[in-house]
Amino acid sequence: MSEALLSVEGLRVRFATEGGEVEAVGGVSFELTPGEVLAIVGESGSGKSVTAQAILGLTGSRNARVDGSARFGGQQLIGASEAELREVRGAEIAIVFQDPMTSLNPVYRVGAQIVEAIRAHRPQMSKVEARKLAVELLDSVGIPDPDRRVDAYPHEFSGGMRQRAMIAMALSAEPRVLIADEPTTALDVTVQAQILELLRRLHGERSLATILITHDLGVVAEVADRVLVMHEGRIVERGGLDEIFYSPKEPYTRKLLDAVVRLDQAAPLRPSREQAPLLEVTDLVKHFPVKRGLLVEREVDRVRAVDGVSFSVAKGETLGLVGESGSGKSTLSRTVLQLIDPTSGSVRFEGREIAGLSHREMRPLRAEMQMVFQDPFASLNPRKRIGQIVGEPLRLQGGASGAELRSQVQELLERVGLSPTHYQRYPHEFSGGQRQRIGIACALALRPKLVVADEPVSALDVSIQAQILDLLADLQDDFGLTYIFIAHDIGVVRHVSDRIAVMHEGKIVEQGPADQVCEQPTAPYTKQLLAAVPVPDPRESRSRRQSAPQA
Amino acid sequence: MARFVVRRLAGMVAVLFAVSVIVFLIFNVIPNSNPARSMAGKNASPALVDSITEEWGFDDPLPQQYLTMMGKIFSGDVISYEGRENVVERITEGIPATFSLCIGAAVIWMFFGILFGYLSAVRAGGLLDRTLTIVAVTGISMPVFWLAAIFLNYLTYKIELFPSGTYVPLSEDPFEWANHLFLPWVTLAIVYIGLYSRVLRSNMLDAMDEDYVRTARAKGLGERQVMTRHVLRNSLVPIVTLFGLDFGALLGGAILVEAVFSLDGIGLYTYDSLLNQDLPPVMTVVIFGAFFVVLFNTLVDIAYAYLDPRVKLGASAK
Repeated sequence: MSEALLSVEGLRVRFATEGGEVEAVGGVSFELTPGEVLAIVGESGSGKSVTAQAILGLTGSRNARVDGSARFGGQQLIGASEAELREVRGAEIAIVFQDPMTSLNPVYRVGAQIVEAIRAHRPQMSKVEARKLAVELLDSVGIPDPDRRVDAYPHEFSGGMRQRAMIAMALSAEPRVLIADEPTTALDVTVQAQILELLRRLHGERSLATILITHDLGVVAEVADRVLVMHEGRIVERGGLDEIFYSPKEPYTRKLLDAVVRLDQAAPLRPSREQAPLLEVTDLVKHFPVKRGLLVEREVDRVRAVDGVSFSVAKGETLGLVGESGSGKSTLSRTVLQLIDPTSGSVRFEGREIAGLSHREMRPLRAEMQMVFQDPFASLNPRKRIGQIVGEPLRLQGGASGAELRSQVQELLERVGLSPTHYQRYPHEFSGGQRQRIGIACALALRPKLVVADEPVSALDVSIQAQILDLLADLQDDFGLTYIFIAHDIGVVRHVSDRIAVMHEGKIVEQGPADQVCEQPTAPYTKQLLAAVPVPDPRESRSRRQSAPQA
Repeated sequence: MARFVVRRLAGMVAVLFAVSVIVFLIFNVIPNSNPARSMAGKNASPALVDSITEEWGFDDPLPQQYLTMMGKIFSGDVISYEGRENVVERITEGIPATFSLCIGAAVIWMFFGILFGYLSAVRAGGLLDRTLTIVAVTGISMPVFWLAAIFLNYLTYKIELFPSGTYVPLSEDPFEWANHLFLPWVTLAIVYIGLYSRVLRSNMLDAMDEDYVRTARAKGLGERQVMTRHVLRNSLVPIVTLFGLDFGALLGGAILVEAVFSLDGIGLYTYDSLLNQDLPPVMTVVIFGAFFVVLFNTLVDIAYAYLDPRVKLGASAK
């Protein structure tokens, strides 16, 4: 084993809060050797990102207290002065953050931001030379037409391109260590596959030592050499890639591995549900006009968000709707529920045409079709108590009140796995998984027939994901619910769906029974999507890579 | 960019038309009295009222009246019947004083507003920040006319540090120009310094938590570069919007300041005309003032697109 490039010992990070000191990282030690990819895996709040930021003195908060040691070469980074840290940041240890949408400054051109990074460490280089280098860097991370793109603003880049630009910026001073903090979490799965491929290539070309921070075991299996598993601020297990995946010692690691919903697992067997269709959608179209003109606006183009979609859902069935961002799946669900008016097409609910009904005519039907939203943090009013939030639909549509309303709400809370005593609490007192349970309780309050769940588990940790998926399945059996389950993660969709429809650019490119779509896809796009999903199985992903060498 | 500018200018013309119609209605149609009578002044003869009715065409249909009024205002043919002088010429004479006052005050308040806001934000929670907060809040709370009177009483009459009022043209004597304007500038600027420093401080504190600021630090930029290039630059965008609105509306503040310091500008002229119930100058000042506000806001919108490139995108995608 070669000498460590970076060695961290007993790193502790504490934050002073109103309720006393909170320990985010409690004594973490590890070493990084030249040229290796070290993955730090953990769920949200495990302290993995804070660890990385503390090494570079980037914890951001004035209330943070960092102790312990992090030696890079001969230099102690913990407690080093800003001036010393500046010499290391970017030049020796570069970092790529999770969200490329917000990590680039929106008011400067992409090229200018890379030039700034170059000149921060090579002030003697002229702006013209630095710009030339920026073009080369953009080219090396696979940005097409870099000569022109160097002058674009971040908002003119797609998510994947922004993350490539961030990586180009990180590489600009030829660092020896790259910290990638959830580099692909905000990206679509096909884009994620490209970025991981890029990281692997750069790693090979530049023998860069990399710390990869992620919650996604699939990503780990694709690129890591060694793995640290973090839980509640501590490293609970460490080992080689195969060791962690095939012979985990700690119960927590095992739990984490078990909770992953794998694409290659067949869905649990379900009783066949051959019933009359509850919802029939025929040739549904939703176009948004793009208008242009100096004084009088003319329609010059349209965004075909939903472009001639037909499907039907039988009573008690789950239809999974898969697609990447921008594929039109959310617009489709809102159009089906008449939350936005369709441009054309037909939507029949229990045989009755509902497309084009007025708001007043839709009101009695609203009780029968409900939605569960993605972000349980943003979709609950922070100033209302849970009892009020869950009770509101009952009060408005069901006419219940007083003690009766209270007992109905408490029954619902119990049904979704919360305690009836939570009635008086506010949303911020709940965890992400609990909030999603509240969202589900709201949707169920009026005993709907159809529930549209739009990315209900994407914002949750894997172990919580599994619990919510189980809850949804239980409720389906108990209440005879019909689901439209929307997600970008085809593994999750396969796990819960009877049938799957794959959406791409406003159209359904393939639909059929879940196992068939996942195992014998016919549409080229479905094949591409399936190939891009990282498998949390190192052997499998190695063999996949060898059998399909990248062009 | 050209498309964006043309769109904004076209929008400006539409707004100007709407504003002129509203002013026309307010002065000549809504008051339920003979407009010629109110225009003629306090002690007008019936013959004068008749000739004004004739001249302004108050017997014509409303659209015709509107055209006559705009024609008179923009050809410079408005007469004050009280003072027997050409209103537009009189306003033109007042422009140097008023613009010297407004632009000087704006430069002072932008400079100190941004400086104090920046220092407060960078040293948030520290002694300097707290001191500046107290100064800013005090500044915001002081009424312009009161402050003007206090300055005049102590700094001009008691210790004779600054000359009292009156405008000295810049071309005549630059030093005296600034010396005479100094107190009016400070009086007018002080409220805005307080306001702008508070707004900038909170914008900057928000911006410091942005991911791109963390990126800037992670690149290895120095703290001052991070603060000026990334935090301050992004926080200035709302300040520019605010500036557009405030500078346009400054005429209101200028009336008080010019009156107290007897600076012979448009503000003082308006003030005198109001006291004399001399309608034509008031009407003309309101029209020109409104046009200036609209024009200035258009310029700010265009500046905004330069500061925040996403604005252009929003305008063309809409």
